[in-house]
Amino acid sequence: MKPLRIALTKGRLEKTTVELLEKIGYNCDEVRNKGRRLILPVGDNDFEVVLAKAADVITYVEHGVCDLGVVGKDTILENGSSFYELLDLNFGKCRFALATKKDSDFYGGYNTKTIATKYPNVTRAFFDDKNMDVRIIKIEGSVELAPLVGLSDGIVDIVETGSTLKANGLEVIEWVTDISARLIANTASLKLRKKEIEALQKKLEAVTQ
Amino acid sequence: MKKYLKITPEGTKDFLFAECSAMDDICGKIEQVFVTRGFKKVITPGIEFYDVFSVPCSGISQEEMFKLTDNKGRLLVARPDSTLPIARMVSSRLKSSLLPVRLYYKQAVYRNQPTLTGRRTEFMQMGVELVGAQGLRADLEILTTAISAVSAVASDFRIELGHAEVFDALADGLDIDGEYKEKIRVSIESKNYSALNNLLDKLEPSKSVAAIRKLPSLFGGEEVIEQAAHICEGTNAQSALEYLHTLYKNLSTLGLGDKVIIDLGLVQRNDYYTGFVFAGYINGIGDAVITGGRYDKLLSEFDAPMGAAGFAIDTDAVTILRLSDDNVSYSDNPDVLVFACDGAEMKAIEAVAKLNAEGKKARFSVLPTLEETKAFAAARGIAEVISVGEEEE
Repeated sequence: MKPLRIALTKGRLEKTTVELLEKIGYNCDEVRNKGRRLILPVGDNDFEVVLAKAADVITYVEHGVCDLGVVGKDTILENGSSFYELLDLNFGKCRFALATKKDSDFYGGYNTKTIATKYPNVTRAFFDDKNMDVRIIKIEGSVELAPLVGLSDGIVDIVETGSTLKANGLEVIEWVTDISARLIANTASLKLRKKEIEALQKKLEAVTQ
Repeated sequence: MKKYLKITPEGTKDFLFAECSAMDDICGKIEQVFVTRGFKKVITPGIEFYDVFSVPCSGISQEEMFKLTDNKGRLLVARPDSTLPIARMVSSRLKSSLLPVRLYYKQAVYRNQPTLTGRRTEFMQMGVELVGAQGLRADLEILTTAISAVSAVASDFRIELGHAEVFDALADGLDIDGEYKEKIRVSIESKNYSALNNLLDKLEPSKSVAAIRKLPSLFGGEEVIEQAAHICEGTNAQSALEYLHTLYKNLSTLGLGDKVIIDLGLVQRNDYYTGFVFAGYINGIGDAVITGGRYDKLLSEFDAPMGAAGFAIDTDAVTILRLSDDNVSYSDNPDVLVFACDGAEMKAIEAVAKLNAEGKKARFSVLPTLEETKAFAAARGIAEVISVGEEEE
């Protein structure tokens, strides 16, 4: 049988996941010395690791070409649809927040507010819950710029320490939701390869909870 | 203005040659199972009134439906599902027929999908509905038909079995509104343990809360029933569990071993299904290829209250899997190409028919010269060219 294939989000989540895998006894030397390769064996061919951008991890798992994935809750909220979310891995923690220019009255007045964000779906869902019509503008880079130059009234973005906001005269007025890394699984894979996946899930659970 | 003259809409595709052969092959095998079990074919219109699909428990959101209007401005949709039209049909045209009725269908359905996800918006479905029958016998008839149909097209598969009432009975024991219940259901459906725990932590601890917390992890063999029985003891979910156990024990006589599993976290479309539910997976396909169950409320929406159960198979997914199998070939290259010299055309056509009757795959060449026919045969890898008529002598 083919080894299980796990998609990891490149970058920080990948590093921490590799540390976790080593902690539960898998040899990850190949991943650590990956060079330019994108598919790498782990342990004694126990499984394969695939490295991908966050949103692509979800795509690969949804289509079943990867059995498992490690991806941030932010990406799941923005892109996710049909897969199993098996485990909160309790690292890569940060929060989604609504932020505005310091001392501005965001909820005041009757005019429709404009929000700049890299996460239009998260933003849409947040304001839908409040039954509030807002204009959403998608920004690709530093979102903090938008309210400063007058493009938007506020932003919805990921906040870790809040220092970027502070340096630009912005403040958090509401927390949207908590974020951390999650272990996700393809629906069919979990049914067809239950034992292998559950064993790995249990091991990861033991070192993350 | 840009003309979309040479492309098909996102999520649709042309099926060519081997793709059609594979599809016919798959559908034919499934059809044979259905017919042998006494199901009769129906075809419903490709477009229907929107109202048919907007009944309260349909489980189809308006975002998913392709809409158009008729010449009176009434809202129509391209059929997103075949069960609701069949419920409509049974409640009107088969109103006075002898029950139960066994129906099967093989037709495309249309669902709008998020852009650029590679999902199909048009896909072929085959399925059966057993309308006007309830109880163990009816449920076993549906389940064994489904298992036969999947076995006919795949060997490495899993059928997972659940019961809509397990979750419903447990959730009804909680002091929550419909919206909260739906949030809990979604987190069970996606096996999202952390979201489920967050939702349940806000509730008063009780036997039902503890049982719901375990639901998504309760999947596997018979041991799951025992675990669940222990957890759900004294709750309203008990009778549904016992029934599930009966179904499972009956199916185990088929000797399929771990190909049939229990999944108490199977809560998809829980407002639509009322009894047993099931899903089937085939190795190599990342999504359920077969879904079904008992839906006893639906016919009431069409003023014809009666029990019904059925399932649908995503035959396109199976077709794509079959085409990727290197051991299966749907090549229809002929063995012989028959060229007719001027005036000998009818003679050649007769020769082709004779060769075919003898079991040799022969085709009549429509090219104007023997040289072109030979060149074509060489390019296509056709072994033999026969010339009929004067050049022959």
